[in-house]
Amino acid sequence: MIETQKWTPEMVAEFKRRRRGRNWLLLGVLGGFCLVIYAVACVKLYQTGGMW
Amino acid sequence: MSESVVNSVELGATAADWLALLKPRVLTLVVFTGAVGLVIAPSHMNPVLGLVAILCITIAAGAAGAINMWYDRDIDAIMKRTASRPIPAGRISAEGGLIFGVTLALFSVLVMAMATNLVAAGILALSIGFYVFVYTIWLKRRTPQNIVIGGAAGAFPAMIGWAAATGTVSLEPVLLFLIAFFWTPPHFWSLSLYASGDYERAGVPMLPVVRGARYTRQNVMAYTLVLVPFTLAPWALGYMGWVYGVTASVLGAMFIWYAWAVLTDKQDEAGKSLTKDKPAKAAFRFSILYLFILFGACAVDRFV
Repeated sequence: MIETQKWTPEMVAEFKRRRRGRNWLLLGVLGGFCLVIYAVACVKLYQTGGMW
Repeated sequence: MSESVVNSVELGATAADWLALLKPRVLTLVVFTGAVGLVIAPSHMNPVLGLVAILCITIAAGAAGAINMWYDRDIDAIMKRTASRPIPAGRISAEGGLIFGVTLALFSVLVMAMATNLVAAGILALSIGFYVFVYTIWLKRRTPQNIVIGGAAGAFPAMIGWAAATGTVSLEPVLLFLIAFFWTPPHFWSLSLYASGDYERAGVPMLPVVRGARYTRQNVMAYTLVLVPFTLAPWALGYMGWVYGVTASVLGAMFIWYAWAVLTDKQDEAGKSLTKDKPAKAAFRFSILYLFILFGACAVDRFV
């Protein structure tokens, strides 16, 4: 567990900033993965005539 | 340990730290050569699938870099150039780095298989395995020839791009592979001539550390002389036209000139430079430009 009691307000703010950055990155990566899989599936279905 | 370092570690990794695990600077060349392999292949590929294939090559190369950083964390901590990397600096745990790398590697191979074909996915998996097991784990700490054989891992992207588009591997992508393969030694050894101090401290047997600077200079020249005929082969065999032929000839002559300058640099008895390694630095910079222009000429030649 991270000990935060000795942290200054600046350190807490920096910790939150970093955590927010990591969370946005993770969201972007997971969203990107979903988008890639979706796009590949669409193209493959279109190529095999199963899309429409 | 200074207060700022303690704070930096305690506060955790930034998003940039995770991205740094992918060695983004190395990726540029990988992406470019992979894209060229895909573009020059004699097959029409859906552009979305083409972009996904290039993305997979990029992610796979980044994943291999992350696993490399996990394995090399002990020597990275010793070398000045790499001590501030996220794992040796303690901002990302070793296990976290490994899981990150393996996850991305698996994802890239699976998506490549799904988007293109098993041949491309197989070579992609082979390239990751080669970089991690053959170069990083087996060769890097054992032999000064590490980057010669290990360089094959970095030479695969053009072949993967080609395989993604065609589903096969023929002589042409093999030639592109060989060009990138023989380009690696003069490129890397030019750098190692003026940056080998770090490797010496970490006990990594780079050529200048083990065999000396003079021998390294001779090898830069020798491998450049081996490289140039391979770059002319696609033209000589009729795969490429005059645009590529002229470009490869001019670039080849220039690379030989740079390698000659490295070989004949003013040096002491041990081969150490008396000119602050100016020729080696120039040769290293040129080698990067060389590969970009050469592969760029391949793509341009296709459309002329």
